Amino acid sequence: MQGFALYPFDPPGDIGALRAELRAWLAVNQPQGDIVARANCWASFDADFSRALGAAGYIGMTLPTRYGGGDRHPLERYVIIEELLAAGAPVGAHWIADRQTGPLILRYGSEEQRERYLPGIARGELYACIGLSEPGAGSDLAAVRTTARETAEGWRVSGQKIWTTGAHFSHVMLALVRTEEGSERNAGLSQLLIDLDTPGITIRPIIDMAGHHDFNEVFFDDVLVPHGALVGTRGQGWQQVTAELGLERSGPERYLSSHALLATLIDAAGADPDPAVAVLIGELTAEMWTLRQLSMSTAAKLAVGEDPMVEASVVKELGNAFEQEMPRRVQAIVDCPWDDPGDLGRLLRALLIASPSFSLRGGTREVIRGIIARGLGLR
Amino acid sequence: MSAAREMLCDTARAVFAEAVTAGIAPVEEAGFALLLVPEADGGFGGDWGDVNAVLQIAGVIIPDLPVAALIASDALQPAATVSLMAGAMGQALVLSIEHVNTRHQFGRPLGKFQAVQQSLAVMACEVRAVEAAAGALAARLDAVGLDPSAAGFEIAAAKLRANRAVGVVTAIAHQVHGAIGFTREYDLNRVTIALMRWRGEQGNDAYWAARLGRQVAGLRGRGLWEALTVR
Repeated sequence: MQGFALYPFDPPGDIGALRAELRAWLAVNQPQGDIVARANCWASFDADFSRALGAAGYIGMTLPTRYGGGDRHPLERYVIIEELLAAGAPVGAHWIADRQTGPLILRYGSEEQRERYLPGIARGELYACIGLSEPGAGSDLAAVRTTARETAEGWRVSGQKIWTTGAHFSHVMLALVRTEEGSERNAGLSQLLIDLDTPGITIRPIIDMAGHHDFNEVFFDDVLVPHGALVGTRGQGWQQVTAELGLERSGPERYLSSHALLATLIDAAGADPDPAVAVLIGELTAEMWTLRQLSMSTAAKLAVGEDPMVEASVVKELGNAFEQEMPRRVQAIVDCPWDDPGDLGRLLRALLIASPSFSLRGGTREVIRGIIARGLGLR
Repeated sequence: MSAAREMLCDTARAVFAEAVTAGIAPVEEAGFALLLVPEADGGFGGDWGDVNAVLQIAGVIIPDLPVAALIASDALQPAATVSLMAGAMGQALVLSIEHVNTRHQFGRPLGKFQAVQQSLAVMACEVRAVEAAAGALAARLDAVGLDPSAAGFEIAAAKLRANRAVGVVTAIAHQVHGAIGFTREYDLNRVTIALMRWRGEQGNDAYWAARLGRQVAGLRGRGLWEALTVR
């Protein structure tokens, strides 16, 4: 390996002014959410906030204006996203639609699909979920068994998706389905945009060990979907999905979603911290600063139209490890009872419980390391 | 990389290769001490991005020679060490990948074993992190005109991050090499011993962690984010 090229993070315009503008907007519009909700804010649902954020022009920023977007540079969007996460803003409702579904529809979707979905996404009113995982498949995305059979009246979809984040409040699912009968692995797959109010769809909640309802099971019982629901090219679903995953794996959410814990630890430690706590803060800060550089470089590579599959995986691997270790290391150093009612105690407990999921969502650690190993020429 | 920097790196490679047997003399004669000196003063007018590139090569080819001290002031030695470490770690990874792709055991190359792949992926992440830290530190130093005090945060964060990577990188590099990597004649020890040495030089983990931690504590929680984003 010749070393990774570092892409300069060089957004157009006055970035300082853009940050200041959003910080001022958040000071007025961000709900006074609980510290625990702020900590994992990209899973916090707040429809009013999403609508206000969309009206202010901070959703769908990179979409063309003719679809209601802002026609902004991807790195301007990056700056907005990191500010929202660092502030703990409740961005969960529109998160997936803004990050993945919107850009994918713009890239692969038909004109009809763009006109139908993109303006609602940019307004922060239309939410999406991703139909990849299936029962028994785990991280093996190519094990998709949900089928879509083309008939005279449309696609007939049958099967089941699982671990579908936000399906219970989403309007549409971008589903990976098997459209070629008898095809295997990553051949013969296509993507369909399925409106979730279509008859024959059943959504059942899965409550996680933190007591939250993020995940769902989604059942398709001979669901009739119009021909126009096909996204991109029939049979090219796998290629489209892997391009989409680059958007999912490299963003600032991979190291900033529990930023609130670090900020709260610093505030709790005071200006003259205990030496062991100072060392911990120093170590966590060095890691976060480095992750931010990696994430920005990856975003810059994405912005020039290259596919940072390996770099994105490095960000996810290191970012997940950081977020997972942070609550454990804080617990190991700071004396804080399990049911402590203070901000630090409640946040620590919530993140300790949530942290096992960090290296599962968006591809398990082992799969991500396999992608990196392929990038190293080992597979 | 710019064409000028590529030429600089080509020169460095040739000079450093000669220095392997001849000691520091060829490096001194080639004028690397003038790299950061402005052109108006008879120097090459380079920036820290150039220094970073040159020292990464030095970290691979002549880790034992005091090249950093020749180019950078005392106050910038921690930053110079980060660049040397990034280069040496990159080389440890290159050697490891070559080895596992060449060495067959149990009927196939070592690199085809999933356990080996996963170890090297972990190592590659650490190497990439240190390269990114060295690159970001270089950008900061250039932005502040090489003023070490204005880049105090970045120097601390980058040296600490590089130090912490040493344990993982040296351990995995030697583990995947097996016994051959532990011999004197094989190349790996040239970079791994240097990495072990550099971890303790120019401030070990405890030094930089305490220093950075106290600095950040003074910023408060929100202030840390604001400090990061004004840079």
